[in-house]
Amino acid sequence: MKRIKLLLVSLLVLLMLAGCGQSSETTSQDQSIKLGGSSTLAPTVAKCADDFTEKYKTWNNVDPKLPEEPIVIFVSTGGSGFGVKSALDGTVDIGLVSREIKDEEQAKMPNGKIIKMGSDALAIAVNPKNPIVQEKPDLTTDEVKTIFAGEVKTWKELDAKLPDRPTVLAIRDLGGGAAQVFDELVMKKTPVAKEAIQLPSMGALAGKVAENADAIGYVSTGLIKQNEGKIIALNIDGVAPTNENIASGEYKIARPLLLVTKDQPDQKQQLFIDYLMSEDGLKVLEEMGFVPAVK
Amino acid sequence: MQEKTGTFCLLVAWCSTLLLMSIILFMALESWAVWTEVGPLKFILGLNWNPLAEPQQLGIGTMILSTLWTALGALIMAAPLGLCCAIFLAEFAPGWITNFLRPAINLLTGIPSVVYGFLGATVLVKFFEVNFSMASGESLFCASLVLTVMVLPYIISASESALRAVPPEYRQASLALGVSKPYLTLRVLIPLAKKGLLGAIILGFGRAAGETMAVLMLAGNTMVLPTSWFSKGEPLPALIALELGTSEVGSLHYQGLFAAGLVLLIFVLSINLLLALFRWNRRNGVN
Repeated sequence: MKRIKLLLVSLLVLLMLAGCGQSSETTSQDQSIKLGGSSTLAPTVAKCADDFTEKYKTWNNVDPKLPEEPIVIFVSTGGSGFGVKSALDGTVDIGLVSREIKDEEQAKMPNGKIIKMGSDALAIAVNPKNPIVQEKPDLTTDEVKTIFAGEVKTWKELDAKLPDRPTVLAIRDLGGGAAQVFDELVMKKTPVAKEAIQLPSMGALAGKVAENADAIGYVSTGLIKQNEGKIIALNIDGVAPTNENIASGEYKIARPLLLVTKDQPDQKQQLFIDYLMSEDGLKVLEEMGFVPAVK
Repeated sequence: MQEKTGTFCLLVAWCSTLLLMSIILFMALESWAVWTEVGPLKFILGLNWNPLAEPQQLGIGTMILSTLWTALGALIMAAPLGLCCAIFLAEFAPGWITNFLRPAINLLTGIPSVVYGFLGATVLVKFFEVNFSMASGESLFCASLVLTVMVLPYIISASESALRAVPPEYRQASLALGVSKPYLTLRVLIPLAKKGLLGAIILGFGRAAGETMAVLMLAGNTMVLPTSWFSKGEPLPALIALELGTSEVGSLHYQGLFAAGLVLLIFVLSINLLLALFRWNRRNGVN
């Protein structure tokens, strides 16, 4: 009897799940704002959209001149390429892009607007017990590349003053946003060494570096602040990964987080963009581990 | 009334069977492109997994080998422990010890695998780093150790029930002949329960091969071909858990992960079929 009940319950759950999938995509109309693109930026924008709708509910609360219509904002993901493409063909009103806009893409939208919300930066982090912090706190991009490519196998090979112990490479799984940034900006098509340990989340990666004295890994800059004292970020090409250096573009292992529109945004879209760029919006961005743009 | 309940049960049973079939079918369809484009042999034996590199490389040979290392390794440790424990519980333990031990062991099955993985990651990994001066403590051995604890209760309860299923006449006859208890156990009961015991071990292997969370946190997840028990590796479930969330839906990467899932599913299913075969044989043998 118990087994029958269990089966019944699981069947019910399945039916409910099947029901959920269909009901959500019906209310889209012209009044809604659609955003879509980069899976890095989408969670932040979705959170902001939730806060925005929660706060104002209808458009006339945002601006008394607007009619009393409910605020509807859709956020979808599909990658940066999808963000640019669908902003151009009008599938979304605002594209979310987490890379530089290519020249040929910019040429297709002469009236378009590109707004930089912030940056997603990766710090090269080591354990505080690693003598590299005192001896060689400054790496070049090339040195980082040789370490992660597995050409430099021990710390001593990197610098004679460092201990003769193997380097422990900590990376994120392939396909994740961070791995792609690192691949593009540092490795430049050279494969990462097979010995590298893949960690399932940024938090786990920071934890690995904090625990293992020989570990080196790329960590979101937001996590460096949270783990102050437990992991230490190295300077790259003489530039420290501080918020100022990242926002100014001085620090190189970073990519911009952009909002892209094909034409001048209409009033409602502009209001939402203003909200994203306001203190509230940028605070969410910072909470998600990114560096907000300087105004 | 009874008939109604019967049909209802039949219906529900069919539903769940259909569900299983549709899962297999779904996975086969999702991964179809991999089987046709890469080819089954190249996919299963390939040693390079680079689904995002320019010439895409999809080969799960290293992952299959890692899965075998961790699961077989766990079995090497769990099988003797489990069998001895089962023999003790079934034949030698006084009643009050059995009454205490059996629920305690069964309780082990209720511990979520994340908890095992977390304990392993914080205690075992650190232990190996400090005591064996390894650069980093994760290894297939580490994962095997935790898997051992995880599959032990299954092996113990399955083999204990196999021992208890031996008809009492054998016991009575042996005791009447005046043989000692160890002789009875080793020479009479174990040979009789052989198939059931083997079944218990196979059950343990299936569990160990399919376990995800503990191996994800302990095996190290590197792409190197594991050449020893103490090297790092990435078992199949860990690969899928790591990458499915970030892979682009519909890409060859995504399909490759589904293909890896299908390989794992067929692997574990065939182990379970083997188990069913043993059970079927045993039933026929005893009657």
